[in-house]
Amino acid sequence: MNVIADHPEARWLPSRHRFAVGKLIAFAKLRGTTQSVNSAERLIFPIDRDQTAAEMNGVAIWIFVTTVCYIAAALPLIWPAAIIVAIPIAAIVLQFPTVIIGPIVRMLIGDGNHIKIISVIAMSLLVIASSYVAASNSWARYAAWFFFAVLILNGAAAVVVWLLRAPIRAAEERCAR
Amino acid sequence: MTRSAWWRRFLVRGVFWRQLLRFAILNVPPWIEPIIMAFWAAFFLLWGPGRRGVMRNLQVIKPGSTSLANFFRCYRVFWNYAWTIADNVRFKELRTIPDWEFVGWNHFQSMQASSGAILLTAHMGSYDLGAHLFSETSTRRIVMVRAPEEDPETRRFEEHHGAEGLRIEFNTRATELALDLLETVREGAIVAIQGDRVVGPISTFPATFFGRPSTVPAGPFALAMAARVPIYPVFVVRAGRRRYRLVTSRPIEITRSRNRDDDFARAVAQWMTELEAVVRGYWYQWFTFEPAWPEVSA
Repeated sequence: MNVIADHPEARWLPSRHRFAVGKLIAFAKLRGTTQSVNSAERLIFPIDRDQTAAEMNGVAIWIFVTTVCYIAAALPLIWPAAIIVAIPIAAIVLQFPTVIIGPIVRMLIGDGNHIKIISVIAMSLLVIASSYVAASNSWARYAAWFFFAVLILNGAAAVVVWLLRAPIRAAEERCAR
Repeated sequence: MTRSAWWRRFLVRGVFWRQLLRFAILNVPPWIEPIIMAFWAAFFLLWGPGRRGVMRNLQVIKPGSTSLANFFRCYRVFWNYAWTIADNVRFKELRTIPDWEFVGWNHFQSMQASSGAILLTAHMGSYDLGAHLFSETSTRRIVMVRAPEEDPETRRFEEHHGAEGLRIEFNTRATELALDLLETVREGAIVAIQGDRVVGPISTFPATFFGRPSTVPAGPFALAMAARVPIYPVFVVRAGRRRYRLVTSRPIEITRSRNRDDDFARAVAQWMTELEAVVRGYWYQWFTFEPAWPEVSA
């Protein structure tokens, strides 16, 4: 794994972000940062796509809220009660892709890192669920529309990131020097 | 396998939870991970002895605090513990390292440059991850001394999934280990020991911790005096998701005089001052699930 030492601005390297929207925001921050201040005397930043807390926590909250809405809409309760009941159910349901598909994948291809394949399957299941809810008359359809809006926004950001790939690489190399 | 052995693997220190954690690290997408952590941190609040141990300790660390507030603080301790052990397994299995910040770099450097030293730490943050980082970045050999896992299956699992380049010794065979460690330190290695709580039948020194009588393991201090090396208080503190701070304090020099008890008492007092300051600031990362002051009522 590559690391960058003693450059506080390296926390904004687009390579340290997974999603295109995150990469774009990071690129804007990296360009705007001249010299970050940090109380630490030395720093080590690994270059890893899943390293950024704000991005991963933000996506986790968004996915959780979306799942809570879908489950609450399916429960035969008034919506405040349904949301309260849906919170623990959603926390359990979101583990299904891992606990159900994980062992199957492990059986098929052996022990090892299956994060990528389970990530794709989990996101595909969310897209299927969102398609169903988006087409319904439930109040949760707004959450499903928002889900697709975010996917479209990330897709558009991916195009921009691809167009800006040369300046992004240059900015990253400048930071690493 | 006997029937009693079958269910032991599901006890809180059983091997099942280690296997489940390893499985999760290899299978959970990072964008779901915070939810899974929140769920399992809440689940482990059902572990009564651990929860009560943390809440009792919080009563002393935060005097005047209510049980309800300490219950939520206890959740924060479990939440940080879940992330810490996950980061540790992630490093072992995937070689994923977190962001590191160093505070007290000059002390850290002088420890690396010394010809043998004792690294005294606490059950805080990820001491395992810190030791692994040290073994990967330093030319010095590091030997970790720790209490063995209670469950034999868990012990075997941990031995099998240990990180390379790191020697771990268990503090069960006191006399042999002391001589072995003395030789190791004299050869220039760094011996990492946790000095915040006493586990098992080991020799201790009296100390004062948060104004109350306590004990600390005597081993690190006796070893430092015998080997004539300094003790470096080092704390690995979790500063956020996949972000750790390595805090190295000024070394504790044990000067030899005619009164050894006074020499040790001075060193222990300096260590307790450092430890108390860190535990006070990062109480949510002091992973001591047993009551540190047994006289404190539940």
